[in-house]
Formats: sequence, structure tokens, C-alpha cells
Amino acid sequence: MNTKDSPGVIRSSSGIELKNYYTAEDIPESHRHRVHSAPGDAPYHRGWHPTGYRSKPWRIFQLSGFGKPEDENERIKFLLKNGETGFIMEHDRNTADHCYNVDHPEVVARREDVGLTGAVMQSVRDIAICLDGLPVDTSFGHAGGAVVQHAPFALAGYWTVAKKRGYDLSKIAGTGQSDFNLTYLGCVTKQQIPTDAGLRFNTDIIEFCGEHLPRWVPVSIAGYNAADTGLSPDQELGTLFANAVEYLDEIKRRGNVPLEQAAKGCAGVSFRASIHIFEEAAKLRAARLMWSDLLRSRYNITDPKTANLRIHCVTAGSKMTYQQPLNNIVRGTLMALTAAMGGVQSLGVSGYDEALSIPSEHAHQMSLRIQQVIQEETNFCAVTDPLGGSYYVETLTAQLAEKAWEFFEEIQQQGGYLASLDSGWLHAKAAENQHSEFMALESGEQHIVGVTCAREDESPFEVDGFMGTDDAFDVATERLQETLRTRHEAGACAAMKNLEAVCRSETNIMPVMLDALEAEVTLGEIGDIYRDVFGDWNTPIQT
Amino acid sequence: MDHSQKRILMAKTGLDGHWRGPTIVARALRDAGFEVIMIGMANTDDIVRAAVDEDVDLVGLNIGGHINVALRAVNSVREARPDVPIFAGGTVPPHAKKQLEALDVEVFPPGSQLVDIVAAADRLTGRSAD
Repeated sequence: MNTKDSPGVIRSSSGIELKNYYTAEDIPESHRHRVHSAPGDAPYHRGWHPTGYRSKPWRIFQLSGFGKPEDENERIKFLLKNGETGFIMEHDRNTADHCYNVDHPEVVARREDVGLTGAVMQSVRDIAICLDGLPVDTSFGHAGGAVVQHAPFALAGYWTVAKKRGYDLSKIAGTGQSDFNLTYLGCVTKQQIPTDAGLRFNTDIIEFCGEHLPRWVPVSIAGYNAADTGLSPDQELGTLFANAVEYLDEIKRRGNVPLEQAAKGCAGVSFRASIHIFEEAAKLRAARLMWSDLLRSRYNITDPKTANLRIHCVTAGSKMTYQQPLNNIVRGTLMALTAAMGGVQSLGVSGYDEALSIPSEHAHQMSLRIQQVIQEETNFCAVTDPLGGSYYVETLTAQLAEKAWEFFEEIQQQGGYLASLDSGWLHAKAAENQHSEFMALESGEQHIVGVTCAREDESPFEVDGFMGTDDAFDVATERLQETLRTRHEAGACAAMKNLEAVCRSETNIMPVMLDALEAEVTLGEIGDIYRDVFGDWNTPIQT
Repeated sequence: MDHSQKRILMAKTGLDGHWRGPTIVARALRDAGFEVIMIGMANTDDIVRAAVDEDVDLVGLNIGGHINVALRAVNSVREARPDVPIFAGGTVPPHAKKQLEALDVEVFPPGSQLVDIVAAADRLTGRSAD
């Protein structure tokens, strides 16, 4: 952010000075020949496929979940009935992020919070209830496990339920997330395994999926979580690829699986679609360009199936306002359109009540309708990469890629992505931007409608926060006791012993995690093993 | 006007680790000359203990979950340190905001301006007369 600009200078969120208008001469020399490529051609900035959304519209994919597993199941069924084309299982953050059962003192102390951010799922029994009647075999499912230490449990739970229903794991499609940007940057939990243990988990998952679940997206690096913490679009890009090389370099070092197979496993990522619409669309185009350049130059990988980045986007939650919340329907629409202009494969639109709570049923439905209106009514899907060839957007695409590589290099100079998390360097960058954003609002340089200007609200609509159900904690407590009482105890103990032994070795964690879920080992017991074996990440920031 | 450095305790009542809200507020308060003691995610007992041990002049709660969790913290701090004012921010929907305000807790929902938060801290700690 530049505070010393002369009057009249306008910059993008990445600090790129914007011109009044653009001509062909503005497109950087190095990018000019690329403008003439077609969608589906390397370096893919114009899109993944020549026929784009004509052959496959983006997946409508909304974060969802609260309360008891059956409440979450009901909401997911509601979304599917209303046109969602994949589904996401959220796990309660209090328990999931920390790998605690509900009887952990830190959870008990906040019992009413339990279930507010996802259903409580402490064993495979809970996951089975949540998935009851859901199309695990035919749909693209998100098993949860956004936080790194939670991912092996969440994935193994989903897969165990799928196996019990008789599905072949090699045929099911879906993802977890297991995102470093969330876990170690945007959402710093009270307790977390250190980053080196997290790297081991994620590379285990990537290798395991490559061998056994070829249609599964094993980890999904989320630029979103870096961006919504404060990093600018160029930094979001640079951070995402710095993260990717950390995984790929580690897999190369381990030498267990072909690197190309692992790279394919890293090629499903997520970004934030924010409100500066052209810069954000350019960012998504730049991302595809950068991924194919990175794979070619660093790993000599050019296979289109791997070099073609597949992108899920979520509209920026932090841009949704508490004041005049119905205005957020407009913001959601603009950001959704941005994602579509950027050529995403999958999209979630934040609820209009995002700044108040998790989405109400109506807010959720509106997030679907926004996407459906764009897909069904606007003829948007007829033409691939509608911004292709725009002097402005092509220039921004090239400029963003260049700036993002600079940030990537800065991270390398810090010792790499993990080191920049461990030291708090990335957190400091994000905090600096957060501060600048606030200062720009307070000085009147930037505006938010309904918040810093146009503040009179004469709307007759009142929106309050959706608070889910009030029995999630009590039911989870009963179910935990029942599971512990009625499971085959010797089997569970043996599975825990095996899990601990594997955690202490270099063997892939996923096979024993599947055994543990099958034996009804609970989340908190697994967390206790992690805490014992791996210890706690030394958090670089005080929140 | 009292010119001694006033101490503000800041804590998160929930177990959700998103940190941008409380840290930006802490920075603004520090820039305005307050000493800010951040204890991160803290349960009611942790918050009360810190409010007493640190001899703070104001307690700031970042609320991200159910209002009952926050109300428990507010009531317990009030019991242990009836002299200390409390203000709060975070994802506080209208019904929860009203409940906190009924207990004399000033609430800054998303979209609040830092300058207003600092002004409230000035007033609540007696740094300014208004």
C-alpha cells in the first residue's frame, strides 16, 4: 500500500498503479504472444478447456453445517434440493480444529458455542449420520478437515462411511482441505501440531490419494485464507505457490511416488474472489499461468491434466457488511461474477448474513440463486474467458503474475513458506495490510456502502444472526459416552497403539487412520496421541 | 485528564482462531497510548484471573460465538472486578448486541471505526472527560 501517492493516483489492491484506459501497448512484451492463445492451451490463463462452461458449468459448492450431524445433513439436503451440485461438510471448529472431544475442559467452558460452526463429529458414527442419504458415490463431496491436524480424521471418516456403503474408494470424488494458510496463518488455534508435522500429514495424504483415490483432491491450498487474513492478491498468489513447492519438494525428497502424480494432487486450489472485480478475475487467470510455468520450469512437468490448475473460489467473507446486510446480495453477485469471469471450476458465495452468523436457510438459498441466475439467465456460460484480449485485464494478468513471483521469491528468502509461517513473517505482512485497509477507510480514501457512506437505512427488513440448534453439546456428550461404552474396546485400543507407532515413524498415516476410524476411535483420543507425539506449534503471534 | 498509562485486557471468548479483528483493535489502542495485554483464546476463568492479576482498567472481549459464553465472561468479570468497564467486538448479531448493552457493555460490531473504539477506550478508562 502506498500512502505517498500524488493526488489522482489510483492503485489496485496489489498496489499496481491503474491507468485511465489501456491500449495494446500497455500489455507487457512478455505477455503479448500469450494473448493469442486459446482456452485449453498452455499456459492456460484463458481457461482450462476450449468449451469452458458450455461443457461444464462451475460447481455450486457452499460451505454448510451446524448443530448435530442430523441438522447438518438436513441443511445439505436442502441445498442439494435447491440446486447445489456438490456438498461441503463443516465440522464444529471448537472440537475439530483442536482435535478435542466435547468433554475437553476448553470445550465444556464454551458449551453453547459447540455446533455453531459445523456439526460435532467425534467418531465415524457421527459422520455416518451426517452423510445419511447423501450422494457420496455420484457427487463431489467435501469431507471437512480444513485444519491440518484434523484432516486425516475427517478424510478417513468420510472414506470409511463410503466403504461401509459398498463404494469403491478409487471411484469417489471429493476433497478435504487441510490448508496451511488457514491453520497456521488465518486461523491460529489454541493448539496445533507444528508445521513440520503438518507437512508430513499433507504429503502423506497426497501420496495416499495418488495411489488409492485418484479422483480425490487430496489437499486444497487455499489462497482464500491468506487473502481474507489481509494478504493482497499478488501476495495471495505468491503465498499459494510457495506453499505448493513446499509440498512438492518434500514429496520429491521422500521419493515414494511419481512427482507428476503428486503435482496433480496439488492442482486443485482455492482462491478468494473479492470486490475489486477486474483485478480478482485477472488474479485467477494469472494463477493458471503461474502454475503451468512453475511446473514446467521447476519440475519439468507439462502434462495438461496436471499443468491445468483447477480453481474453487469463495467470495470474500470479510467484504460482507454487518450494516444493511441485504446489500451483501449485490456484493455476492459481483464477486460471483468475478470468479466466473476468472474461469473457476467451483464456487461458493458467502451468505448475506456472513457478518452476523453462519448462513440462515434463506441466506444459503440466496447464495445458490445468485449463481443460478448467472448460469441460467445471463448467457454467461456461452463464451469462455470473456475478458480475454482486454488490454486492461491482460495487462493486469501479466503484472499480477510478475508481482506474485516477486513475493514468492521474498518468501524463499525467508527460508521458504514454512519458515515464513514459523517466524510470523507472513502474519506481519497480513497485519500491515489490515492496518492500511482500515486507514484507507478512516481517511475516506476508500468507501464501504452502508458503513462509511450511504449510512441511512430505511429498509424494512431486519436480519438477525442464525444461531443453529441448542442441543448440539448435550447430544454430542451423550453420543460420545455411548460410543465409548459400546465400541469394541480391545479393537479401539489396538488401533490407537498402531496409530501412535505410525505417528512416531515415517510410515504413511492414512492406512492406520482408516483402521482407527473403523475401530471407532474418537477425535479427542487421536488429538491426544498427536499432542503426545508431535507437541505444540510455537505460535508466532499473540491474538 | 489522567495521563498515567491505562491497561486494557483483550481476550477472545471462543475457540475460533481468526485473529484479524482483535489484533487490529489492539494495534489501534497501542498506537493511542494504551498498554494492551492480549491473552488470546481464554475461557471465563482465564479472563477473570487476568483481569484481577493484571490490574487492568478496561476489559475488551472479542466475541465470535454464542452470546451465553460472552455473558458468562461478562458476569464473572463484573463479580471479581465490579469497577472495571467492559467493551466488546466481533461477530455479534443484533439480538446478542442488545443483551450485552443491557449489561452496560459497549459493543462494536463489524464495520466499526477504530477511531470510535479508541474514543470509547478513552472515555471508559477516564482518559477523557466526554
